Amino acid sequence: MHDGSGRIVVQNLTKQFGPVAAVQNLSFTVEPGSVTGFLGPNGAGKTTTLRMLLGLVTPTAGIGLINGRPFHQLGNPGRVVGAVLEAQGFHPKRTARNHLRVYAAAIGVPDQQADRVLELVGLGQAADRKAGGFSLGMKQRLALATALLGDPQVLVLDEPANGLDPEGIAWLRQFLQSYARSGRTVLISSHLLAEVEQTVDQVVIVSRGQTMYYGPLANLRDSQQSRVLVQPSDPGALVAALQAEGISGIEQVPDGRIAIAGVDAKRVADLALKAGVSVYGIQEEKADLERLFFQLTSGQYAAPPPQQQYGAPNPYAAPNPYGDPAAQNPYGGQPPGSGYYAPPQGYQQPGYQQAPPPVVPPPVAPPPAVPPPGTPPQGYQQDRQQGYDQPGQGGLGGGA
Amino acid sequence: MLGNLVKAEFRKTTTTGLWWGLLIPTFVIALGWALGTGAIGDGILEVFSSSEAEELTNAFGLDPSQWQLSLFGMARSINVATIFPMIFGGLAISNEINRRTITTTFLTAPNRVAALTAKMLVYIAWGAFYGIVIVASVSIGIALTSSPSALPDAGGWLAMCAVGLVASILMTMFGVGVGALMGSVVGTTVVLLLYMLIVENLIQLVLSSQGAPWLIGYLPNGSVNGITGSVASSLFLSAAGVVPDEVVQATRFFAGGLGAFEWWISGLIFLAWTALFFAGGWASTQRKDIT
Repeated sequence: MHDGSGRIVVQNLTKQFGPVAAVQNLSFTVEPGSVTGFLGPNGAGKTTTLRMLLGLVTPTAGIGLINGRPFHQLGNPGRVVGAVLEAQGFHPKRTARNHLRVYAAAIGVPDQQADRVLELVGLGQAADRKAGGFSLGMKQRLALATALLGDPQVLVLDEPANGLDPEGIAWLRQFLQSYARSGRTVLISSHLLAEVEQTVDQVVIVSRGQTMYYGPLANLRDSQQSRVLVQPSDPGALVAALQAEGISGIEQVPDGRIAIAGVDAKRVADLALKAGVSVYGIQEEKADLERLFFQLTSGQYAAPPPQQQYGAPNPYAAPNPYGDPAAQNPYGGQPPGSGYYAPPQGYQQPGYQQAPPPVVPPPVAPPPAVPPPGTPPQGYQQDRQQGYDQPGQGGLGGGA
Repeated sequence: MLGNLVKAEFRKTTTTGLWWGLLIPTFVIALGWALGTGAIGDGILEVFSSSEAEELTNAFGLDPSQWQLSLFGMARSINVATIFPMIFGGLAISNEINRRTITTTFLTAPNRVAALTAKMLVYIAWGAFYGIVIVASVSIGIALTSSPSALPDAGGWLAMCAVGLVASILMTMFGVGVGALMGSVVGTTVVLLLYMLIVENLIQLVLSSQGAPWLIGYLPNGSVNGITGSVASSLFLSAAGVVPDEVVQATRFFAGGLGAFEWWISGLIFLAWTALFFAGGWASTQRKDIT
């Protein structure tokens, strides 16, 4: 029997659909007590991974474990793990209550449980309506109700916010957080970081079937850098002045401006004044999480980002925390996004990014909180402006 | 554990309208065919002149007035009506795949073997239920239109009901297997109907015209019809003395079981067909990636 830990372990999962590698050597661990976001663009292999974890798809290689066991060894799986995989797994002519009573019988819970979960997801009024007449949002709620029938310890949701209205999303967020706070495990996939940003504590970011990052969302936030774009009368003088102050990370951007990372606009302006350089324009550019997410996951279907200044020491690129950076890219030369903690486009690109870092997951223990892998070296830290990485700003950053 | 899954599968079938949606035509067709064949049987007896009747009496060793012609009508009515439980079975898995409920079904079962076993048990029960409705409505129809002398005795009636039940269960299982193999509601329905109603009849026509009617008894429809047809034929001839083979084949033809073997051999042949498709459907569902 399973160990009751509530832990999800994905080890080297690989799925080959004919010539298409949907998932490649994916590994991560999900711990109980937190909501983990499973993020990646459409087609990144999220759904396939979740379905392999749940025994619906047979992996080509690797294994997915829940409570230390493969799905088929869980005994009565409905009591251990509940899953929302799609919002259309209903017979259109079956009422919501009957749908739930079917699976309540299969799991072996009393029929009253069907009404209880209907109330829980706010479908109490619609219990006797046929699922075929439900809106997408109602179907999502019914799917969640089905997942909750067995009062499972582990909840796995694939794009559960699809079709939910803002009120529904807010409700779902609160529900999942309280579910996780009761010591249970919640794994929620999404192709939109903004959608789950306020919900999740941990993230697993995948792209092209491979893990790009996993760890606390806070660490990802902390890796953010803002930069100052300045248009000086004399670029050379300003750069010299900045370098004299020990500021590196200076870069010329294509439009002729100078980009300085790791400082705020006020300091740049003060230094320019001191150096007698006129400033025609100054602008603080804030990188948000969404943009970073886009960086981490871009390249699957989009053209690779423009490469600049290969080989230049990149003040932003953290040393690859996951070992050999020269691992072969199975896709050939196409850059798989920009590696871990890659800066937004336009920043210097690390020279080694042609090869994706191999994903070597940390041991089963929770990812270390301090210091987070990839935290920028000391000296680049600056006062974070609270709120600049809050969700909701800047739309989706084109990363959807 | 399996009890829970059986309960769940049973609820699946009763919480949508399919079971009675197919039961109504089952009842109507079974009753209608029985009424019709009963009337035809009576009509045939009436057109015989006394001299013809005498010849037939010599041939069969049995007076036409004692012929239990209704047996043929029963066999044929049962054969036609079992189309519906077959369709019901055909939708068992294909509908779940189509509606994507198969995902939740597999998520709430310990493993696929258990889920499919529960489904099989439930559909055997449904096949039996459809079978009971079929033999009941056929019996009513025959009793209404056949003259009392054309009706089988109690033992014969029971035998017909028993093989009708067996045929219905096997047809349901056959449908389940084909449906699981095809995985598509429309495909399953069309293939089953086309094959059972048209394709195999054409094959049978060709085979019988080419002088190989014995092959028909090996075909799916030929063998399942043989279950009821052979029993009807042997019941019909049971009162007669030694009957030549040609006459046996002729009576089986009237009972819709041309080229059929003894009922139990026919049953085994159809069971083999059912097992083949059922095992194939099971294996494909067992291994299928539910994406």
